[in-house]
Amino acid sequence: MSIRFHRLGKSDEDRMAMSRRMFLMTTTMAGITTNAMLSSAAFAASEVLTEAQSTSLLRMVQDIYPHPDFLHLSHYEAIAMTVMTNAEADADMAKGLTDGLDQIDAKAQELFGVPYAKIEDPDAREGLLRHFQHEGFFQGVRWTAYFGIYDNKDVWPLLGYEGSSAEHGGYIDRGFSDITFVPEGPTLEERMADVQS
Amino acid sequence: MAQFDLNDDSVVVIIGSGAGGGTLANELAQKGVKSVVLEAGKRFDLGDIENDEWAMFQKISWLDKRYSGGGWHGAVNHPTLPTWLVKGYGGSTIHWAGVALRFKDFEFKTRSTYGEIDGANVEDWPVDLEEMTPWYEKAELKMGVTGKTTGMPHLPWNNGFRVLAEGCRRTGRSDYRSGPMAINSVERDDRPACQQIGFCMQGCAIGAKWSTMYTELPRAEDTGNCEVRTDAMVLKIEHDDQGKANAVVYADKDGNQHRQKARVVCVAGNSIESPRMLLNSASNMFPDGLANSSGQVGKNYMNHTTGGVYAVLPEKVHMYRGTSVAGIVGDEVYHDAGRGFSGGYYLEFLSLGLPFMAAFLEPGNTGWGRSVAGALENYDRMSGVWVLGEDLAQERNAITLHDSEVDQYGLSVPIISKTPHNNDYEMTAHMYETSAQIYEAVGATDVYELPAYPATHNMGTNRMHADPSKGVVNAYGQAHDIDNLFVSDGSQFTSSAACNPTLTIVALAIRQAEYIAQEMNAQNI
Ligand SMILES: Cc1cc2nc3c(=O)[nH]c(=O)nc-3n(C[C@H](O)[C@H](O)[C@H](O)COP(=O)(O)OP(=O)(O)OC[C@H]3O[C@@H](n4cnc5c(N)ncnc54)[C@H](O)[C@@H]3O)c2cc1C
Ligand code: SF4
Repeated sequence: MSIRFHRLGKSDEDRMAMSRRMFLMTTTMAGITTNAMLSSAAFAASEVLTEAQSTSLLRMVQDIYPHPDFLHLSHYEAIAMTVMTNAEADADMAKGLTDGLDQIDAKAQELFGVPYAKIEDPDAREGLLRHFQHEGFFQGVRWTAYFGIYDNKDVWPLLGYEGSSAEHGGYIDRGFSDITFVPEGPTLEERMADVQS
Repeated sequence: MAQFDLNDDSVVVIIGSGAGGGTLANELAQKGVKSVVLEAGKRFDLGDIENDEWAMFQKISWLDKRYSGGGWHGAVNHPTLPTWLVKGYGGSTIHWAGVALRFKDFEFKTRSTYGEIDGANVEDWPVDLEEMTPWYEKAELKMGVTGKTTGMPHLPWNNGFRVLAEGCRRTGRSDYRSGPMAINSVERDDRPACQQIGFCMQGCAIGAKWSTMYTELPRAEDTGNCEVRTDAMVLKIEHDDQGKANAVVYADKDGNQHRQKARVVCVAGNSIESPRMLLNSASNMFPDGLANSSGQVGKNYMNHTTGGVYAVLPEKVHMYRGTSVAGIVGDEVYHDAGRGFSGGYYLEFLSLGLPFMAAFLEPGNTGWGRSVAGALENYDRMSGVWVLGEDLAQERNAITLHDSEVDQYGLSVPIISKTPHNNDYEMTAHMYETSAQIYEAVGATDVYELPAYPATHNMGTNRMHADPSKGVVNAYGQAHDIDNLFVSDGSQFTSSAACNPTLTIVALAIRQAEYIAQEMNAQNI
């Protein structure tokens, strides 16, 4: 089963505008990416990935959870680094990863005539990655990206999540009921009356 | 705390320290009946509670090997996590959210109300609401449930529930409130009032929510009548030549085996482990497992017909601020065959933190990419519900044992099979539609429909029935085949009803304690 987007969702026009914007963002970022990588000692020093493979890996973690308006490139670089560090410590994992990245590139060449990271259309890149989504190496990268973004306390504020509250005395005085676009809830007196009638 | 000898054959041995086992232990202890509680997990206390979804999951969940089977999506997407339960002192009452609803009268009489349903194995309970009402009241007083019995007001409404409630109002509904919850809205029973911390399902850091971890269990230990042994995984229940249960074999944390003698044995390991224990205890006298002359042990596994719905609102909601299940909508809990399905369902406001939202929005290998990431960018504008309704008993939905793989204790790994009935598909469609209408009425732009989570409500696998050929236990949870063997958890349920199970588990445990004490006094067991 999958998420079903609802009939009242954004209009097609909005979605197209969105997709144009994301296209611009991601291609710009792809540019930054390559530049950043060329000058990045950490990436160049990877023992298991060639430069082309690490370019693909960085593109891949961005395509897995793309948040061009919310996250910085450094967040994705950190995830790619974690994947590489894990692979350096585990020969099987390294082989799975390098073979997988090569397969992605081979498929990209077959379908689009360019390496994966050079495909400009984000939908096309996602479509390409979908061919590999049930493979172990892909899910390994995917879950590393998942934890690096959604279980990362540094990222939470960027996505509007405040996390732990016990140490601040909870949300009772910190906005648990502060929205104004719907009516307030019943008062204490009303809630008392409700259980005493 | 008392300490009992392994050869003391006067004790009641209770297996599991959660809602059922913990309550039973305290009730017996208060009556002066001596018991040993064997709990597979570690001893936890409030200091172990963290406001962190994955940290708590890793720390307290039951992570022994299990497999998902059957036709539900989890057999693919959650292959080794069919359920989300706790292994530890307090059981799943550490994780539970606190919703404390009673069954409706018709929900005890599902066979009479729904009639015979093709492909299902629906039966009436041997008890009804009238019989259970005084026990529900005792349970509500014990647990501190907001509402008329205790006079405690329901909790204040948080943002996420206010959105849901307004949608309910605009769609002409009337039964929506922030209770009944087993969460203190005022200081009560030596426990503080809720501070709207959120993370109720990671354990309540201040103890405002009822859990056997800091109520029933320490109180039972304080009487001197109860010993709780943690890191004690029960492997087998033994019996004597007359077929009476007489001892329980368990492994300690180093894997050493011990044998505790018993006068009475009560099984409360939740609905996967309880039938698994009975099946693993097969002997020459009981080749199909203990208490299984009906063949119903492990069958009729129910975990509610469920799904999740999250709506994106035009403005910020910050749904994670405050109680996780902050409100309950009861308008859909009635039976009307005209809706295309039997039974009713609840909508319960449920906030997930960002980590769980990102994991469960689209579970499985496909849950990534632009649609998922785009949806998560709306996280702070979401409000949502967990929908849960009557899950019909079916024989094929069952706990079975793997024929070759064993866990770290050498016990066959359980396979938990669940295949939805047509009733479930019809009901789920209705649930999604109702939820969407409610949220659209408050201006939701996108509505996401999520499939069932790993099961938190597990029921039915040692069910009650007046007829010993159709059920495992009688109306007191006493095995039809073995007088001094009891089932004290949700596996006794004959039907699932629409509501969350724990209040009923606790009410049944209080009632069972009274019965056990009386039968022991009368020397019947
Ligand atoms: C996240 C979450 C939210 C929930 N929210 C609600 C809610 O709002 N309302 C509601 O009514 N219910 C809720 N539930 C369900 C509720 O937690 C259970 O219904 C209840 O705890 C079941 O009680 P029990 O005694 O059957 O089992 P548990 O509470 O699960 O306890 C069983 C205990 O037995 C132990 N055990 C198992 N096998 C063995 C063995 N072989 N030897 C020794 N010990 C063993 C386990 O380690 C465990 O500690 C929720 C559950 C979860 C996980
Ligand atoms: S919201 Fe209330 S009940 Fe829930 S964890 Fe916080 S204090 Fe406890």
